[in-house]
Amino acid sequence: MTRSGAEMSAIRAVLGLIWAALLCVPKVSGQVAPPKGLDFPMTQYRLKNGLNVVLSEDDSLPVVSVVVAYGAGPVREQPGKSGLAYLMENLMFQGSENVSPMQHINYVQRIGGEFNANTSFDKTYFYETVPSNQLALALWLESDRMASLAITGPNLERAKEALVAEHRQRRTSEPYMDSFFLFDSLLFPDFAYGHPLIGTEEDLKRIDEADVRAFASAYYVPNNAVLCVAGNFAVEKTRELIAKYFETIPRGADVLPPPPPRTEPPADRERVVRDLLAPSPAFHLGFRVSRLQTGEARSLRILDILLTQGKSSRLYKKLVKKERIALYLIGGVEERGGIPALRIFAISPNDVMADLCKKAVAAEIGKLRTTLVSEAELAKAKVLFKGDYLDRMARSLPRALFLCESVLSGESLEDIPEEFGRYLRVTPMMINGLANRLFKPENAYSLDLRAK
Amino acid sequence: MRTPKRGRAVFLCVLLLYGALAAQDKFRKSPPLPDPLPELRLPPIESAVLSNGLTVAVVWKPSSTAISLQIVILAGESDSPPKLPGVASVTAHMIGRGAELLSAAEIENRIESMGGEIAAAVSLERTVFTFDVLEEDLDRALEILGAVFLRASFPEQAVESAKRTLYYDLVERQKDPEFVAKRQLLRHLFKGHPFRTATYNEDVLKNVSREDVVAFYDRFYRPNNTILVVAGNMNLQTASRKVSHSFNTWTPRKLEKTFLPPPDPNLEKQITLVDIPQAREATIFLGNIVPPATGPDHFPFMVLNQILGGTPGSRLFMNLRESKGYAYYAFSGADLYKNCGVFWIRARVTPETVLPSVQEILREISPAAVEKVSSFEIEQAKSFLIGNFPLKNEALPDLADRAARVRSFELGDDHWNRYAQNIILVNLERVLETARKVLEPPPVVVIAGDVRLIGDHIRDFDKVDVYDIQGNLKWTIKKGVDR
Repeated sequence: MTRSGAEMSAIRAVLGLIWAALLCVPKVSGQVAPPKGLDFPMTQYRLKNGLNVVLSEDDSLPVVSVVVAYGAGPVREQPGKSGLAYLMENLMFQGSENVSPMQHINYVQRIGGEFNANTSFDKTYFYETVPSNQLALALWLESDRMASLAITGPNLERAKEALVAEHRQRRTSEPYMDSFFLFDSLLFPDFAYGHPLIGTEEDLKRIDEADVRAFASAYYVPNNAVLCVAGNFAVEKTRELIAKYFETIPRGADVLPPPPPRTEPPADRERVVRDLLAPSPAFHLGFRVSRLQTGEARSLRILDILLTQGKSSRLYKKLVKKERIALYLIGGVEERGGIPALRIFAISPNDVMADLCKKAVAAEIGKLRTTLVSEAELAKAKVLFKGDYLDRMARSLPRALFLCESVLSGESLEDIPEEFGRYLRVTPMMINGLANRLFKPENAYSLDLRAK
Repeated sequence: MRTPKRGRAVFLCVLLLYGALAAQDKFRKSPPLPDPLPELRLPPIESAVLSNGLTVAVVWKPSSTAISLQIVILAGESDSPPKLPGVASVTAHMIGRGAELLSAAEIENRIESMGGEIAAAVSLERTVFTFDVLEEDLDRALEILGAVFLRASFPEQAVESAKRTLYYDLVERQKDPEFVAKRQLLRHLFKGHPFRTATYNEDVLKNVSREDVVAFYDRFYRPNNTILVVAGNMNLQTASRKVSHSFNTWTPRKLEKTFLPPPDPNLEKQITLVDIPQAREATIFLGNIVPPATGPDHFPFMVLNQILGGTPGSRLFMNLRESKGYAYYAFSGADLYKNCGVFWIRARVTPETVLPSVQEILREISPAAVEKVSSFEIEQAKSFLIGNFPLKNEALPDLADRAARVRSFELGDDHWNRYAQNIILVNLERVLETARKVLEPPPVVVIAGDVRLIGDHIRDFDKVDVYDIQGNLKWTIKKGVDR
């Protein structure tokens, strides 16, 4: 049926009036339009079973990402059962009631999709990026393993064997891996916060079906999870699909937060290790404080960028490019149980250079305590922060992962644009104040690795 | 006592509840059907040629907050003089290390203030510089790029420093058995061809002088030999104006480049071992020369590659890792150049399974094995390629890179816009026809690993030439002959 020209004109006129009226709606007092790149639509709601849902559309390409994040990680493990959370991550690919072992992977690959999972100390993420016409498939797959994970003897044995093989292979290909775990336990001495993510072979062998069932029923439940869909999709239809696949999954028992870590510094803060597989000497250096003051988390992020992130950072330029006493250098901020730590890791060609390297790091850190960072250097760090932040928001998977992490960490999604702006308002004085609180000898932790 | 009416009500309730549960079970039992295939609308690549011959190609993505810049010099390592391998790489690494009226430190400060770095990648035929900046920094970015490209000053000390950096980079890369194995494979495939220049050892870098670098720059770093790609929220008109502002004084020069015929495919059975002392595993790299992406067989070839080794669900991975348990991984792929390509297979296996692994790979890629491919396998491979294509275009630098390839290899806009349609058109006959063409000649086989661990396991091959990491032939292992 076609409409007459007059009818079309009338419709256009009415639409024009509606549009004009919409444009005239006054802004809520204090509400500022989000900057470009953060002005994407977002819908957040909760299903009856407690599952937190976040939808964020972006129709620039026919691609959609689905992330399911559980508030579960090694922090929930008991001594003697380390590696259970990582084992769970592996088991999630071993099949569920309607998806046979490894079939999840086949389903996703067959349509050109990509998938993965990762576990941090307190969260585990599962995700797929698929062509947008296959959104229902991704939701079906995630809901099936949330509803009916196949925890069986053969599946468990297969997953344990795979992890033991992975341990051995990674020890060969990543000779410094164990040192990172050792340094974790130095920085975060509580078992829950500092034991190795991949567990030990002995502990893995000890884990049985009952342990896995108990862990899954306690933590892999909708009320301890966030589902985020980001990319090209229709909101109403997606809400219907989510209700269909997830709403009937029973809610689990309430999940209590893990016990907080001890805040008093441990006695053992420095260690030298000689018996590792390290091909070249290296060191880990960390600074942790028990509590940050308001706003200091943002200063810490900016300080980390100017000190350790990228080839223009102070430490990279001095140690790797200029003085050539480090072959490799990385750093970053990590927070466990509310305790933040700034970490630095460097590899040097020999022991003498490793010692020089540590001294040079100490000297650079000292400068941050005594001298204000220039506005130009601070501006450069903020450009890096801004570029990285906006880049994550521009792609469906990094955006969905970010939104899931924010929800699980208890952050408000509505506050994202404002929070972004707060980072850009960090001043040299704020950096200096933080440096003086953080870089104290009593906050320093170190692990020296000497090649055998 | 319950009345019959009440009993019926309870029965009905149970029935309804059962019905609800059954319905719930039903939709969980099998995967949902997909919606219709969405239309993929990639932003078009628009281009203009400035008066000095510089091609500006634009991929306009209005939602973007960043700009991804690529400067593609249409000359690479195969353009280095035959006696001076490495000149192309040293020249590329000199960009940004000093310009007229700008010291290297000043350049570095300006680039860093935009939060980025100019990264250079030198391949056989192209040198690609990438620089990603925020939208608001584009003018400053083009200004500094103009300075470093048009007025590069090549300080002697900086040339020596660039050579040293490249030397140690190469030494470091040689610790990777895949790099060593692939370089050896290319040395065989490009024997007697200018492409072989690109497979040099680190020691040749000492032969490169400042004069060589300046000569290479003068010859090839010309606007009429360059494509500048701008991807982001920028239309062609604005981009051309901005680029012209910084690059219009770049003077063109007539290029004396002759058409380079592609290397011939290998036709003989060749098995080579590169001895890497202390390597715990064996790395296999094998391959041969194939037609370029502009050829009529390109899309059937892509489907064939996907069937053989594109992903963990492909034949090689499923056979060598999942079924036989020989390999940590086994994949296939292709490096594509303007007039040819190299089809390769890479696998990492345990030393004791080298022989059966190579045999299985050769069997999997034989035309006879491919003849058994089913229509279902072909449809699965096509489904993967079509579905995966938009995923590979989400990140802005990937979009810029794809546009740069389309323009510099003259693939045509159809390659970009009709990707899915071209894959859909591939059928069983075309895959088999392509397999016969590209898989018939025997590939060169390279194994990289510790000869002390592998030696005993390869004695059933008729003949294996053993090389050191540098590519020097050390000895030959012959079947039934003790060394």
